[in-house]
Amino acid sequence: MNQDVLIKLSGITKAFDGETVLDNMDLEIHDKEFVTLLGPSGCGKTTTLRIIGGFETPDAGDVFFDGERINDVPAYKRQVNTVFQRYALFPHLNVYDNVAFGLRLSHVPKAEIETRVKEMLEMTGLRGFEARKPSTLSGGQQQRVAIARALVNQPRVLLLDEPLGALDLKLRKDMQNELKRIQHATGITFIYVTHDQEEALSMSDTVVVMSRGKIQQIGTPTDIYNEPVNAFVADFIGESNILDGIMIADKQAKFAGQTFVCVDGGFEPNEPVDIVIRPEDVDVVPVEKGMLAGKVSSVTFKGDYYEIIVDIRGFKWMIETSDYVAPETTIGLSIDPDAIHVMKKSEYSGMFGDYSTFSEEMDHLSDPDAGQGAEEAAE
Amino acid sequence: MKKKLSLLERMAAVPHIVWIALFIVGPMLFVLYFAFTDKNNQFSFSNIGQLGNYSHIFLLSVLFALIATAVCLLIGYPLAYFMARSKPSTQRILMILLMLPMWVSLLIRTYSLLVLLDNGGLINSLLKAMGRKEPLKIIGTGFAVVLGMIYDFLPYMVLPIYTSISKLDNRYLEAAADLGCTPVGTIFRVVLPLTVPGILSGVTMVFVPSISTFYISQKLGGGKMELIGDTIERQFKQATANAYHVGAALSLVMMILILISTLIMNKISDGDEGGVLV
Repeated sequence: MNQDVLIKLSGITKAFDGETVLDNMDLEIHDKEFVTLLGPSGCGKTTTLRIIGGFETPDAGDVFFDGERINDVPAYKRQVNTVFQRYALFPHLNVYDNVAFGLRLSHVPKAEIETRVKEMLEMTGLRGFEARKPSTLSGGQQQRVAIARALVNQPRVLLLDEPLGALDLKLRKDMQNELKRIQHATGITFIYVTHDQEEALSMSDTVVVMSRGKIQQIGTPTDIYNEPVNAFVADFIGESNILDGIMIADKQAKFAGQTFVCVDGGFEPNEPVDIVIRPEDVDVVPVEKGMLAGKVSSVTFKGDYYEIIVDIRGFKWMIETSDYVAPETTIGLSIDPDAIHVMKKSEYSGMFGDYSTFSEEMDHLSDPDAGQGAEEAAE
Repeated sequence: MKKKLSLLERMAAVPHIVWIALFIVGPMLFVLYFAFTDKNNQFSFSNIGQLGNYSHIFLLSVLFALIATAVCLLIGYPLAYFMARSKPSTQRILMILLMLPMWVSLLIRTYSLLVLLDNGGLINSLLKAMGRKEPLKIIGTGFAVVLGMIYDFLPYMVLPIYTSISKLDNRYLEAAADLGCTPVGTIFRVVLPLTVPGILSGVTMVFVPSISTFYISQKLGGGKMELIGDTIERQFKQATANAYHVGAALSLVMMILILISTLIMNKISDGDEGGVLV
């Protein structure tokens, strides 16, 4: 990866009707990087993208492109192109004219336009669709036209605003690979906005996790998953058991009534912390060999594994295991030191409960802000 | 989802059907009948044969209506664009200003224009006060008639265009800017083509009353500008046995003219995505 900083946001603040959407945000995006802005709706990710695209002006802070301040450069003069959330293909133009739109504006010779448009349609699998109007295309095809229309201009940066949101699961997977391939082939910097953590993890070089107008964590997908900085990131990315704990000393964490050996350090003695343990990192063992013991309250078959909910001293853990265990039996659990991830307490601590009310349907609705609201109401 | 309508539901349409049959279809059949019969009520092409005598009037009417429509479009489109893109409070004020003249009857509006433009009218009084001896002759010219049409029918151009511009999704404008299109370029490449249905509605709603008007040309034309509407009115007023039949033939031609122009409009809008003609 090239380390040149291409886009730099510094101290960006933006409010709509008095409501702060971005709060003093700093971000650097490198050349040829695939960056994903990830977060729940309302976290400010789309606004960030629109500020880079030139569709919103920040209330405070500066936007730099290739070292130059571009706050006052209008959208039509910026070297970025956007794939819009619902594509925004021009309904009065056919596929060819939609794709050729940007090239015609920059007075590219006609013959070159033709080669480049054909090439792009070839690459996006749209050959033969030149004369079709957007309204006659399927969602996936429209999506590809939108990508072709943006990419044909060979922008330095491509902005993608939830581009796969409207597609069904199968198509979304295909398009994820497709986008990754295109990014690789063209070497264009991609800034990708999504609320889908799986999409973010599987496609990006760098993931920027956002919440409440602030960046929570920036890192590679592995970093973000393995080393979440706070309860919000841990909860938003993948499944997590988040427990209250105390760091007795370096490499000694106390939670669930037991002291465990872990690999983290650098905390004050007896500092309260949040402990994250991923469901797949817990091993099911016979009770007598377990570090913890609990009663299985539910088992769900997931195809390649079982998802079980275990009650340990009133806290419901989620555990993924390949071996079947019967509900209502008592099992032992074993946790490796490197599976225990210790985080500093944050404003998000205690916001995410255990899996006692967990259901598949509710999962995609999980929203920390809503959680907080419920908590405040309860107080 | 086609559900069979109940008897009661079908009954609901009866008053309207009766109305149309009595006052629209019936009279049209009469027009057709009179147009193809002579004063002895014998089938005849003689009325149609006489139409050639009126060709210059037809041409003048079409010409005036076209000019008025074109000017309305040129004034109306930018106005509608400005209205649709301004703040909601400004939009409301502009809308009231635009609609205000329509609270007054067409006759009175035309009269007020007469008062303004007449030899002893406001403009000429001003000119006289400024030292001009001969009054500027406006009434009785084609200019006055076309001005009257524009004055009376401009709101009909602005409203449908305003509606279609305000319904235009802002995403298209952003997409155009994103692809390097300047704001002015965006108007011509995106806004105009996407508001063609509104333009066509506006054009129809101005062209049709302009080509059939008789009142504006009588008042502002000072009796010198005879349009097809005037000719038809005169034929029926004369009420001689033959004039009735010629008037019917003239009306028939005008209906056909309007029908043709509507068909052309529909044809254009069919070529567009979701084009609807009001």
